[in-house]
Amino acid sequence: MTNRMTRPGMLVGTPVLRVNDPKLLTGKGQFVDDLRLPGMVHATILRSPVAHARIVAVDAGEAELDPNVLAVITPEAAVRDTKTLPCVFVMPGQRMTAYPVATADVVRYVGQPLGVVVARSRAAAEDAAETVRIDFAELPAVVDPEIAVLDGAPLLYPDWGTNVAIDMDGGDPPEQVEQAIAAAAHVIAMRFRIQRQSGQPMEPRGVVARWDAATRELTMWSSTQVPHHVRDGLADALGLPYDRVRVIAPDVGGGFGPKDHLYPDEVLVCLAAMRTGRPVKWIEDRREHFTATVQAREQIHEARLALDGDGRFLALHTRMLADLGAHPSNVGAGPAFVTTGLLQGPYRIPVSGSHMTCVVTNKTPVGAYRGFGMQQAAWVRERLVDEAARRLGSTPHEIRRRNMLRRDELPYTTRTNQRYDSGDYIAALDRAVTLVTPSTPPPDDGRRRGIGLSSYVEFTGLGPTAVQQSRNFRLGGYETARVRLEPDGTATLLTGVCPHGQGLETSLAQLVADQLGLPIEDVKVVFGDTATAPYSSAGTIASRSMAVGGGATVRAAGKVRQKLLQIAANALEASPDDLELTDRTVRVRGTPKSAITIRSLAEQAWLGWGLPPGVAPGLEEQDIYDPEDISYSYATHAAAIAVDVKTGQIEVERYIVVHDCGVIVNPMIVDGQIHGGVAQGLGGALLEEVVYDPTGQPLTTTYMDYLIPTSAEVPDMVVEHSEIPSPFIPGGMKGMGEGGTIAPPAALGNALANAMPEIAHLVTTTPLSLSTVWSWIARGSRTSTERA
Amino acid sequence: MSVTINGTRHVVEVEVRTLLSDLLRQELGYTGTHVGCEHGVCGACTVLVDGQAVRSCLMLAPQVDGREILTVESLSGPSGLHPLQDSFRRHHGLQCGFCTPGILMGVLGEANAGRDLQTVLDSVLSGHLCRCTGYVNIRAAIRDAWPTLKERR
Amino acid sequence: MKPAPFAYRDPHSLDEALALLDQHGDEAVVLAGGQSLVPLLNLRLSRPAMIVDVNRIPGLDGITVDDGGVEIGCLARASAVEWHQELFRRLPVMAAALHHVGHPQIRNRTTIGGNLAHADPASELPAVMAALDGEIRLTSPTGVRRLRWDEFFIGPFSTARQPQELVTSAWLPLTGGLCATFQEVARRHGDFAVVGACVACREQDGVVAEARIALCGVSGTPLRVRAAERAITGRPVDADSLAQLGEAVRGALDPPADIHASAEYRREVGATIVSRALAALWEGRAAGH
Repeated sequence: MTNRMTRPGMLVGTPVLRVNDPKLLTGKGQFVDDLRLPGMVHATILRSPVAHARIVAVDAGEAELDPNVLAVITPEAAVRDTKTLPCVFVMPGQRMTAYPVATADVVRYVGQPLGVVVARSRAAAEDAAETVRIDFAELPAVVDPEIAVLDGAPLLYPDWGTNVAIDMDGGDPPEQVEQAIAAAAHVIAMRFRIQRQSGQPMEPRGVVARWDAATRELTMWSSTQVPHHVRDGLADALGLPYDRVRVIAPDVGGGFGPKDHLYPDEVLVCLAAMRTGRPVKWIEDRREHFTATVQAREQIHEARLALDGDGRFLALHTRMLADLGAHPSNVGAGPAFVTTGLLQGPYRIPVSGSHMTCVVTNKTPVGAYRGFGMQQAAWVRERLVDEAARRLGSTPHEIRRRNMLRRDELPYTTRTNQRYDSGDYIAALDRAVTLVTPSTPPPDDGRRRGIGLSSYVEFTGLGPTAVQQSRNFRLGGYETARVRLEPDGTATLLTGVCPHGQGLETSLAQLVADQLGLPIEDVKVVFGDTATAPYSSAGTIASRSMAVGGGATVRAAGKVRQKLLQIAANALEASPDDLELTDRTVRVRGTPKSAITIRSLAEQAWLGWGLPPGVAPGLEEQDIYDPEDISYSYATHAAAIAVDVKTGQIEVERYIVVHDCGVIVNPMIVDGQIHGGVAQGLGGALLEEVVYDPTGQPLTTTYMDYLIPTSAEVPDMVVEHSEIPSPFIPGGMKGMGEGGTIAPPAALGNALANAMPEIAHLVTTTPLSLSTVWSWIARGSRTSTERA
Repeated sequence: MSVTINGTRHVVEVEVRTLLSDLLRQELGYTGTHVGCEHGVCGACTVLVDGQAVRSCLMLAPQVDGREILTVESLSGPSGLHPLQDSFRRHHGLQCGFCTPGILMGVLGEANAGRDLQTVLDSVLSGHLCRCTGYVNIRAAIRDAWPTLKERR
Repeated sequence: MKPAPFAYRDPHSLDEALALLDQHGDEAVVLAGGQSLVPLLNLRLSRPAMIVDVNRIPGLDGITVDDGGVEIGCLARASAVEWHQELFRRLPVMAAALHHVGHPQIRNRTTIGGNLAHADPASELPAVMAALDGEIRLTSPTGVRRLRWDEFFIGPFSTARQPQELVTSAWLPLTGGLCATFQEVARRHGDFAVVGACVACREQDGVVAEARIALCGVSGTPLRVRAAERAITGRPVDADSLAQLGEAVRGALDPPADIHASAEYRREVGATIVSRALAALWEGRAAGH
């Protein structure tokens, strides 16, 4: 099934080893905490220890007298010297479209940044911070989103008169949905809860800030996915001109979404650098990360799938309650909106709609995390589909086959206006079923075994700017690439995207190398510094870097190629159409002796000597590429699990991914992205949950409490691809960074329901932790005893 | 205090509360050792102290006075990458690379202690958190390099 | 976060260490393996005025095995105990239990003395001490005290050790014919036990002549379940006796709930793993163990 699109002599489609690995493997990476600037001092952030309170008094007198301390920025000073950060994803009617960097009156979540202490060492800063006395008058906290929507609940923003920040319908109108459901032969109605999670890159956030008072220029090194976006926000928050603020992302130790914007505490660190005149370093520690960095996922759904007597889907609807935390973050309700937008999945559903309510609570704000709402959509939809199969006497495979869009039905526009571009969803489903079906009977070890499927369509390559504008997602959806063929014949790609582990330093270089007939080692990818990289409004988020950044790269390198061929054609007295570009050489096809090296052409171009008429000197081209539409990747995952019914422990015995992200540039990297995505999905399925007590105190602030998967929890997996190209991205690629994360919870939930049909109706919440699964089994066996 | 790091002896004055990880990174510039949690779970800061793999965030600097420490910077030389590093590269056993130095040192420490491959894959590797790779290619890299590691012991 | 300031001493002899503890009393904290203490320091949850690092004291890491029992010095690392050949031959349950303590990189530092003195209710080793009737030896300037495990563990993170005392060794009797095993359920490999059990039994004439059952993770201290021991003693291990064993364990447990598991879970699964452990021991006996 895997039909790799490789061409002889070309790097696209081949597993080129990553160019930046040697540096990382030898400990020579430069992460933000590795930077040491002369005179550098260290910051710690003052944070709220309570979930909801009024600040009554602040006394920093002792800290200010501490000889190790260079500055204390109190809440009042922070408010005075900073402005707001923008919500870039703004829903119709959304209350609050920007949030302040600082607060001196009311705190709304544990961990909210209030001020900064700068000292000669981090330890000294922490010593002094302990002496800063902040008196709070506590207010009642609201933690549970279902309580937050009730009349009489404590209000985070009393002037709103409610905790509801956004309330809206999506898809088909409610009357139409209700009509379709009322007329259906079968309605599967279930209530789902998806837990709160945390992205947890292994490198926490961190900043080094340097202020040059003479030139009034601010330089910030930040562990971020989006240096330009951070630059813009930082300049606005501090009232500086954009051209005097430079943001550099050095090596970044994972992002996964949470590093997709500028945080209030990062602004405060920059303010501290301006205040002290010294370079200031702040590295988020892991405990801070658990309250100060955006969290994700938490949603409750009341969802219905309506079917006719033959098991054909007639209608789908969910009433969703999403928890935003203490304020809409940069992306605010974006993930919840994407949940409703992608709820329909790969199926033909004539009527589909949603009602979405987003509430604020006294918890850390939620933001972007790998999967961005699509994991929740898959959980709700795929569990409903399996329950429908069970109740109608069909099978999970058969019911999916009957309702899945066929290849010849694409392009297809869903009820939420997603225009699925290309693919063969059923082929992926069938192949996954084949691969997961055991060839030998399982051992009889007393455990129950089951197989679960999970199919999805993934929104990637954000995005056409027009689509973003139509949804009021205030980021440009284009990407810029600048390709320069240097005078010695090597190439430099300057790109606006900003890799942080994905390997774009290699895969984008493959695209350039193929266009220009160069080996991989002749191409250098430059990114991550607002002073040198082309402007990128969105950065490396939303599985867009290869689709949009790659598209721009192909086009920019293609322009250089055309110019190179034009110059070569002139020199070789041949038509450009008869030339080929390989091995650092331009040759006349069929006349191997008639050749000229790229180096000599490049030298000539940069000297500007002897160029054909009308050809300008130089070999540097830029392309700003705004794709024509969203590209949609898709997959079916299949999991085979064993359940210990006495302990609730689930072991994943086999895991299958059959996937299509269009043309694969580097199969090694693509498989690695899928493995990692699946691992995070398994974490969400089995282990990870951010827990708060009823007063809003977080109970999961270390790796002893918040459990992310280790090697023991992630099995080896089978990953296969088809490569149906994107119809419009130059190069045919689609995005794929998030896909692996979307499907695993539903695959495991469905496998559990398959292993133990007697508890299938209870399998509605994640994580499928051993205590939860065990309690379902206990309830399920009690129920069946009662029934008997 | 004095400490030998990757064969070089350093004499340094530090606060007694300095963690070994900070001694290496902040005081002496061995920034290849990374700090991911500072409470002994993630394993990113793993180094060898007198040959044994330990979490450097869970030792105090004065505890290594007079001892020998090996960090990731010790592995490669003029002849190129260490076989385990090379295998990680060939099998795509790293993505962001933040956890990688700790994993390399943890695996090598336990391999040098005579542990078998299965123990390393089952127990040692699960003492390191990696959020990028899903561990699949890390296991492949360790398996592939194992015969060479055994020979080099 | 970084530790709050403290004074640090690393005595080179036991006498010197004991003098320091005697002088500083409650103000001083003993640093052994540091795998529990240093995280607490880093999180500033523990802020002692003085740390007495005992790692440079020679002679405290011995492991001696004779016919009467096993003595393990307080500074013996968990990995050294786990891979000690003679100990493994005579008391394989130690390796089985220690295998669950963190990961190898942690066990290279974890010490037996530190693990016991920390008295984490979810910790495995105290349950082994309880099942095997182990003894903790404490040394002070005035001499050596020997406390039975149930005299030593008095509550969660709380022991009968006086501030001027150092846990210097653990002693476990070797009882002829007694086979022991350790089972636990944790959310991931290497995590603290949600519930764990050390179960030992001696078989004679086709019945359980003696049983020892101790659990961790279910109460403030390791818990010996003597009612369950009585329930199985004198009986062969079969479905019927295992059911009664489980019932006895269930009846004896009043475990706590936390974010990892409910109280009911710990009670029921505690009973399950005790039954499984005993069944496994019985099968191992049949296989000529």
